[in-house]
Amino acid sequence: MSISRRQFIQGSLAAGMAGAAGVLGSGSALAARHDPLNEAQADFFKKFDRNVVLLPSKYGGYVQALDLAVPETLAWYNYGLAGVNMPIPHHIAAMPSADPYKGFDFYQTMQPPGTPYVNENSPEWRDRGDFKMFKMRYDGSGKQNHIEVVNDIGVTTGMSLGVHVSIGVGENANKYVAFADGQKDMVLITTIDDNPKIVKAFRADYDPVKRQLHISHIFPDATTGKFDYVGRKGMKTTHEAMLGEELMPADPTAVFVDAFTWHPTLPFGAILIRRLGCCAIVDTRTWEVVALLSTAKGAPDNFPLTRQQGFTWTFSVPSVLTPLHEAGFITSGEYFCACNNVLQNNIAIYRSTDENPLKWKKEAFVEGFGDKYLPLHMGNVPDSRFAYFTMWARKPNNGYICKVDTKTWKVTAKWDTGPDPHTCDCSVDGKYMTTVYSGNQGGQSGLVILNVETDKIEARIAVPGGMHDHVVVPESWEGMKFSRSTSV
Amino acid sequence: MKSKATTVSGGLGKRRVVSALCTAGPALFALGLLAIPVSVVLADGKDGTFPSAEQVGGEVFIKPMAVGTKMPTDIEIYDSNAKKADLGSLVAGKRTLVVFFISAVPVSVEQLKKTEVFVDKYGRGANVVFINADTMGTHLMGGPTQAIPSTAATMRLIKKEHNLKRDMYVAPNDVLSPKGVSTRLGIRGLPTSFLLSANGTIEKVFVGPQDWKKGDI
Repeated sequence: MSISRRQFIQGSLAAGMAGAAGVLGSGSALAARHDPLNEAQADFFKKFDRNVVLLPSKYGGYVQALDLAVPETLAWYNYGLAGVNMPIPHHIAAMPSADPYKGFDFYQTMQPPGTPYVNENSPEWRDRGDFKMFKMRYDGSGKQNHIEVVNDIGVTTGMSLGVHVSIGVGENANKYVAFADGQKDMVLITTIDDNPKIVKAFRADYDPVKRQLHISHIFPDATTGKFDYVGRKGMKTTHEAMLGEELMPADPTAVFVDAFTWHPTLPFGAILIRRLGCCAIVDTRTWEVVALLSTAKGAPDNFPLTRQQGFTWTFSVPSVLTPLHEAGFITSGEYFCACNNVLQNNIAIYRSTDENPLKWKKEAFVEGFGDKYLPLHMGNVPDSRFAYFTMWARKPNNGYICKVDTKTWKVTAKWDTGPDPHTCDCSVDGKYMTTVYSGNQGGQSGLVILNVETDKIEARIAVPGGMHDHVVVPESWEGMKFSRSTSV
Repeated sequence: MKSKATTVSGGLGKRRVVSALCTAGPALFALGLLAIPVSVVLADGKDGTFPSAEQVGGEVFIKPMAVGTKMPTDIEIYDSNAKKADLGSLVAGKRTLVVFFISAVPVSVEQLKKTEVFVDKYGRGANVVFINADTMGTHLMGGPTQAIPSTAATMRLIKKEHNLKRDMYVAPNDVLSPKGVSTRLGIRGLPTSFLLSANGTIEKVFVGPQDWKKGDI
């Protein structure tokens, strides 16, 4: 067998590289994951092994996959490459992966920049950015890690939504992913395959004169099989209301739908409705709306259904004592927690074990947050002993993260992690809670790792780019139950 | 300033908690009741307070000012050149439709031309004042008044793009203030239009976009 000149050169190069790698360790430029052996910080960070964190940079326009155990960025992707002018990666959720270093899929939503951080009144901003939902893929199987777009789900389905994304768990595991948006007041459920199919879509509209909420199934065009809500189509407001703006004058029908969270054991999901302080409970077997929880203190446990006509459920919402922001289930599914804020700053705790959500009752409130700190996001731990909540504050206050005992529903610890704190998400082993702060999209920002047992801040990692959300890639569908699916 | 965790009891005021912990911290530590030191307190400041429900009408969807009451004319407004204007003089002695709208809501902007066409045809000479109550989202930029020049620029653009004849005004609105325009007038959905008599009494209130009919005003 003869060897060509080219083959010889290639072989020599490969041998040389292998030798070099032996000298340098696997931290060479061609390794897909750096080995920090003998580096000063190696022993400290190795306890975070198997934790890959996805960090979308809201105003940086990119997403990065961070290996906490090194730490290093495994790969990053700028959404400008997907053709978005002024991309604003907003919320994120990751599919489970037994080996996240090899690969995993994730979902990313995007919204236009007409947000409160940019003066929405400035005409030059009107056409920048877009509503998007991308299915993305991280590939770490080769010598050059990379992240790529798998599907532009807005284009595929004809509906673009820009806020929370959450992946089904429990009875809905390995089936569905949900997207929501408060500028359009819509929710879309699709399958999780690479070419997603529309499963169900909802739209919510308030009648402020009759004081009724209508939640409707909406359907794609029969001929195209798609909706006509790509980009800004269907938008009620040009920017997502920031905290406190639930009180703002807006489109009269606007309710600010924010997310869909999944029950970990029962076939239910919750549509979170900020402006009405309500959560619509949906039976995921039929997609019927079966209850409307009214989460404020002093409000009834739920608002009554006044009629169902075709695919529209109409509820009487005579008064709204406070808006809410996020709401979700603890990992066991035993409780549903709703972050009431602005007019009431408390967390309503419903027992959520009954198969009839109309029987879910408020059993407690987490209170004592005063009038500056607003319950915002929720993070879970595997054994449900604690729930973590982000307490957001507007300038000049930083806000903080608090840990709540799920037996007593009392705050047991809190941390001022930095300005503009956002989401909490647990490490795959349940030992650490990660959380990000964004510095109001311009100042300090970082990732903080809290020890669940000792309450110690284990590490603070610089992550530029004003992280508004993050997710630790879960290891399994069971792990998904404490990975921004049951709660957001 | 960054902090370590502080273990707290839910019912105490924060200042009392911090004070108590600073005093009792070492002893509690010795008893193993505190997980970590409490030497660093949470960041705080005098600003950033959110209103109580009572301060802004008791609930999210408050009722608009009632028919038969007088609309306040001391609302701070600016013209489309960002110069201060006087609402009282704009409505004095004239039957007036005051239309509050919001440039951040497409349906609200679209309603302006429809209203102008309707009033020209069936308004029986009524005066029309368009007021944009859209300076929200500005808390991080120094408050609503900081946004007036850019909001005024948007008014000029809307007037041009929608071929409107009437002058347009800006009312800086702090939704979190008890004195904010939206709280004072009880407006949560825009457009909301108030039909005033010549003496400023509210004759009708129209919430949301209207399919105007002859006789409405």
